[in-house]
Amino acid sequence: MNSQPEPLSTRRDFFARTSDGVMGAALTHLFCQDFFGGTAALANDAPHAPQQFDLKPKQPHHPPKATSVIQLFMNGGPSQMDLFDPKPVLNKMDGKPYPGNIEDLGNSNTTSIGEMLGGQYKFARHGESGMWMADILPETAKMADELCLINSMWTDHPNHDNALYKIHSGRLFMGYPTLGSWTVYGLGTENQNLPAYVVLTDPLGAPKNGTRNWTSGFLPPTYQGTRLRPTGSPILNLKPQYDQPSAVTESARKLLNQLDSIHREKRPHYPLLDARIESYSLAARMQMSATEALDLSSESKHTLTDYGIGEQETDSYGKRCLLARRLVERGVRFVQIFLEEQPWDSHADLAANHRAMCQRTDKPVAGLLRDLKQRGLLDSTLVIWGGEFGRTPTTQKSANGFSGRDHNMQAFTSWMAGGGIKGGTTYGVTDEFGHSVVENPVSVHDFHATILHQLGLHHQELYYTRSGLEERLTGVNPPRVVKEILS
Amino acid sequence: MACPHRLLWDEQHLRSSPHLPALPMMLIRTIIPLLVVVFVPGLARTIHAAEKPLQFEADIQPVLAAKCGKCHSDKVRKGGLDLSTISGVHRGGESGESAIAEKVDDSMLWILIDGGDMPPEGQLQLTDAERTLIHNWIATGAKSAQPHQPEEKQITQHDVLPIVLLRCTACHGARLQRGGLDMRTPASMLKGGKQGPAFVAGKPDESRMIKRIESHACPPQEQLLQFFVKRPPKSEVDTLREWIAANAPVVDPEPEVVGLQPDPLVTEEDRQHWAFQPPQKQPEIKSIDQLIHKELQAHKLEFSPEASRDTLIRRVYLDLTGIPPTLAEWKQWRNSEDPDWYASMVDHLLASPRYGERWGRYWLDLARYADSEGGVSSDPLRAVAWKYRDYVIRAFNKDKPYDRFLQEQIAGDELTDYENAPVITEEMVENLVATGFLRMGIDQTGSRTMNFVPERLGVVYDAINVMGSSVMGLTLECARCHSHKYDPLPHRDYYRFKAIFQGALDEYDWLSFKNRSVELGTPEQKSRVKQTNPLLKKELAKLEKQHKKAIAAQQIAMLRQFYPDQPAEEQQETLQALKIADNTRTQRQRILVEKLRIAETMPESDFSDEVQQALQNVSSIEKQMSEVQQQMEPPLTIRALWDRGEPSPTYILLRGEHDQPGRQVGPGVPSVLTDGRTPFTVKPPFPEGTPKTGRRLALAQWLTQDNHPLTARVMVNRIWYHHFGNGLVKSLENFGVKGERPSHPELLDWLAVKFMEQDWSIKEMHRLMLNSRTYKQTSHITPAIQEHDPQNQLLSHMPLRRMNAEALRDSILSVSGKLDPTPGGPPDSVTVDRDGLVSANMTGKGGWRRSVYLQYRRTQIPTMLDTFDYPEMGPNCVSRTVSTVSPQSLMLLNNERVHTLSHDFASRVRDLLPDDQKQNQGAQVDLVYQLALSRSPSKQERQLGQATLQELETLWKETPEAALETYCHTILNSAAFLYID
Repeated sequence: MNSQPEPLSTRRDFFARTSDGVMGAALTHLFCQDFFGGTAALANDAPHAPQQFDLKPKQPHHPPKATSVIQLFMNGGPSQMDLFDPKPVLNKMDGKPYPGNIEDLGNSNTTSIGEMLGGQYKFARHGESGMWMADILPETAKMADELCLINSMWTDHPNHDNALYKIHSGRLFMGYPTLGSWTVYGLGTENQNLPAYVVLTDPLGAPKNGTRNWTSGFLPPTYQGTRLRPTGSPILNLKPQYDQPSAVTESARKLLNQLDSIHREKRPHYPLLDARIESYSLAARMQMSATEALDLSSESKHTLTDYGIGEQETDSYGKRCLLARRLVERGVRFVQIFLEEQPWDSHADLAANHRAMCQRTDKPVAGLLRDLKQRGLLDSTLVIWGGEFGRTPTTQKSANGFSGRDHNMQAFTSWMAGGGIKGGTTYGVTDEFGHSVVENPVSVHDFHATILHQLGLHHQELYYTRSGLEERLTGVNPPRVVKEILS
Repeated sequence: MACPHRLLWDEQHLRSSPHLPALPMMLIRTIIPLLVVVFVPGLARTIHAAEKPLQFEADIQPVLAAKCGKCHSDKVRKGGLDLSTISGVHRGGESGESAIAEKVDDSMLWILIDGGDMPPEGQLQLTDAERTLIHNWIATGAKSAQPHQPEEKQITQHDVLPIVLLRCTACHGARLQRGGLDMRTPASMLKGGKQGPAFVAGKPDESRMIKRIESHACPPQEQLLQFFVKRPPKSEVDTLREWIAANAPVVDPEPEVVGLQPDPLVTEEDRQHWAFQPPQKQPEIKSIDQLIHKELQAHKLEFSPEASRDTLIRRVYLDLTGIPPTLAEWKQWRNSEDPDWYASMVDHLLASPRYGERWGRYWLDLARYADSEGGVSSDPLRAVAWKYRDYVIRAFNKDKPYDRFLQEQIAGDELTDYENAPVITEEMVENLVATGFLRMGIDQTGSRTMNFVPERLGVVYDAINVMGSSVMGLTLECARCHSHKYDPLPHRDYYRFKAIFQGALDEYDWLSFKNRSVELGTPEQKSRVKQTNPLLKKELAKLEKQHKKAIAAQQIAMLRQFYPDQPAEEQQETLQALKIADNTRTQRQRILVEKLRIAETMPESDFSDEVQQALQNVSSIEKQMSEVQQQMEPPLTIRALWDRGEPSPTYILLRGEHDQPGRQVGPGVPSVLTDGRTPFTVKPPFPEGTPKTGRRLALAQWLTQDNHPLTARVMVNRIWYHHFGNGLVKSLENFGVKGERPSHPELLDWLAVKFMEQDWSIKEMHRLMLNSRTYKQTSHITPAIQEHDPQNQLLSHMPLRRMNAEALRDSILSVSGKLDPTPGGPPDSVTVDRDGLVSANMTGKGGWRRSVYLQYRRTQIPTMLDTFDYPEMGPNCVSRTVSTVSPQSLMLLNNERVHTLSHDFASRVRDLLPDDQKQNQGAQVDLVYQLALSRSPSKQERQLGQATLQELETLWKETPEAALETYCHTILNSAAFLYID
């Protein structure tokens, strides 16, 4: 059974999207000449050989609305009732005991549950749509009419580890491919000179669960996310980790090219040898492309300011948001931005913590949305904001008493924007405490199916055969594409 | 075609969790029918048009007869299901669940149709109108002309015991009897505890167990997480009440096992599949070549010419040992005038300890070996997993017969009564280490919150999965939720198979993370540990204290450098904050820690002398610690699996859900692999000694019988796959109905029989295959081959292959003279830098050991290996993928370590050349080729090499000797090095 996506039947110019600068075309020519004596190997229209997997563009299942995704992942689980889903009844009950069975609340541990905690910030309506948002998100609020809030997300596990596996891979356990991996497995990528699936981590450290947040699981490693390193060379081994005169490098490359040509000529009918030579040429081109893509110096001062770059609080996150735009602009299929560890996880001091988190991210996120829109990229770029679960209406005991909220898998808010999503929408309803969903529930599988749908992929047709089993991102029971939020 | 219907247990977990958002689930169930109304054309119309309700006999039966009747009639009852009568529909399939439920979406019949599972692909499909009809019929109450009398099913203890096991026996069972109460049997419930009997027959309201459960006294709220128990939902309490009200009837049917009658669920026709028949002797076959050649000729092809001697030497070395020959070895074989030089070389390599390191690694892939638990983000280390790794390598080196190898791994604990032995022998230790095979999977049940029954079942299923895909070549997994759609594997057989493991892997009586190992050693081992370790441990404790202090000093130094104005109290506050879990820190504490983190991410070159000094101090203590650790005797701890003699009963789990028990089954193997009538005989192995069930021992013995249809075939196919690049059966893990047919069935059988006749010797199989003419062919593809055998199904040539991750890394180390050949023992540590790059640390001997000895933490796979497709072990890896991507090229071109190793390579070349040749570029090129590629360069390659060396010497100006280093680096990057002809 050939479980691999069909490659595109038409030739694609991989460089269409990079040749807008001086760089693209000329360099492409240079390197291809250098390595192939021509560009033949760039457009390989042959289907996948068995066990050979690549990132060449593949035909989607249906016409896509979005061609790229930027996922702003809010690790730790932001609080829905404090940011997007106001709960007047909860506010009134502040300080009172939870009226239901406390075993039904958040995490499995019942001993440290405190009392009801009202929303910590002021809410107001924003935009023409009148979308509710807390006053600690002043910049995002300005973009309200681009957003679709999904207040009815729910997941299956109250632990970070498992909920993270779930939100990224659709499964509660390690070893399964993530949404980004499935996407590039299904669609390949437009720009062969850059990684298809890029992960931007925080200079302060890796997120909880580390590389498992962007693993390709049982899919070939080609489809795993490439972490752009916050310090040093942005892509692992992108530049030589040793000093050598460039003339020496050139001479060595020439020799390698000649030796490999001799090797290949003596061994006809082995396409994998072409693939290997191609991989060296791609590596060389990637060195140029990535350096160019990651260089923010050509951005206008206005743009930098809009992302909050240069301001202490927002500089780091702003740079990553701007990088995300630059990557998407250059044809990268899937970009994820992570924060260090799990900074939204506010078991203690929620009011101060969420305020600080918003100060770090609000302006850059709004800047990204505005910039994408101005450049006409928002239509084809799906922006996703959210964490792995939400928070409880009650407080929880921690080192400094009762000042934060526990994990809540039964309801949380994520939002989407662009990429064919209906802006100004608020979807789904939670109960009067924001504790669980009462209308239009969206499971993680539904969420994934909807994202795939916008990318032109059908969740059922996107599968990989492993040990005789067809594996899918969205599991066995058919999920629901949330059509109501599509424009 | 694969099984598309894999219910993973996160879905089950969701349904059974008390945290489950009840409302959303209900909504989902109501939404789906609504959607059907909207999206299925004609449905709305039908509902309105239906004046009289749909009836089974008139409206439904004809459709089912036409589209489903081939497999589900009164005559043929696949999965035990008969759809020809309304009673049959209600009775449902063999798992005991009715095909019809109150709601359409809970009805198996509709679920399987709606999900596209039934009818199976390739069969006549239901039309949209027919699907709509069936949906409507169920939705309108599944009416029938012939009134269906539900069979009165008497409630018995077997409806109650699964609930009690799930909710009560953690505190009232084998390990603990709180209040003196044991709830495991009706008799022990009645006997009761200190407070009296658990129930009063006929009087649920007066029964203590009901009262305690309904008042939430049991299970106690504050201990739910301690014992990983969840409260029974009302439906379960109702069942308990019903049973007590009915006077607690006890019927004791024997658990369902194979009987003397023909099996109703698996037919004789099912048993006819080629792989379920014992391998046949092939007396007319004399050699591999005879058969391969016959097939080639039938396709107008001949054997490809024999590969050159150099090619064969390199091929066999890398194939059997994963590293190229040394210069001396290469010279010895290429200059040998012995006509049998090739066979001698094969023998020589099979006797090398390097062989087990290469071939043992393949088995470790199957066993999903790792040095960590996986599952949770902390990914705790498995300190003694390496003992199993060494066991496997030893077994391959010793050529342990494969039947014995399997018996030890599957049932080592039931081979010798180590618990009752006056003296522990090496064999006992070895047998117990071998059982690690079934303990190697991802196991998150050590976590504080992830040890509920569904998580434990995940570990059991993983073990079964490995048995199926690695040893038996069957996809058993499909039968976990329902009868296998393609293979004749009933749902029942999955749970019979599970019952085999119940004595050791009992989800109701789970061994905690900490006590699933045993301390076992021979008297010699014990005395060595006793003599050596206590002193070293003391020393280590001292060093650990120093280490903590040194780290604190380093942190203070950093704060001092980057925040010179920060008061000392705040620095101390930062250190205190570090001791608090990151998510319960106050905002002030978070900010303080963040400051430190920012300081830590500064480039090392910016650090002040004080910080540098502090860092050095930390690493010097760490070095001392690792030196002390290396002097320690390995602990006696073994991560083992052992039977505990009192398994809980095993129930079929409907749809694979842990709280939906069906009928009880006893241990057994898949019926289709037997005649269906011969009982699976289980005998306690030590009737006079330690009580053990003997179930896994019976499994191991059954698997290694001479007439077993799969065991030998699956293994010889794997050996073939590693030598020839493709299996004779391409789907290594699936010999079932939907697996690939063998390309050379007689050859597979001949090899399988030969394997068993030669005492299951794996090395004899290598000899047979490597000495064949087939194996010695060139890898050259001629136009004729390209036309007639491009996929090499006929074995018309040897395929060109890329080295796998370990062979590549080990070969680079070997060529550069940096391979430390020390075998075995605790794994070598790795370092993760702050960008996530994982690299191996040098050993005390100034080199690196083979990749198989690197610490393999599931979350810290050494980057070099990861880049070249080293697998993630979740669960196991039956065959690796091979990718060709630019990060590999970037790694070989730009990585500092690869570059340093090519310097070592160059120094070696200079050292080996005689003084008068050291500057001779021709001689340099020759030697580089001989060392790296086990051949001399062609004329063209030599000229190219000399010219480039000349050019490089000029370019390097002051350091012309660097030219050779650059040249060596290029050769290590070349296709000729990476690929094996």
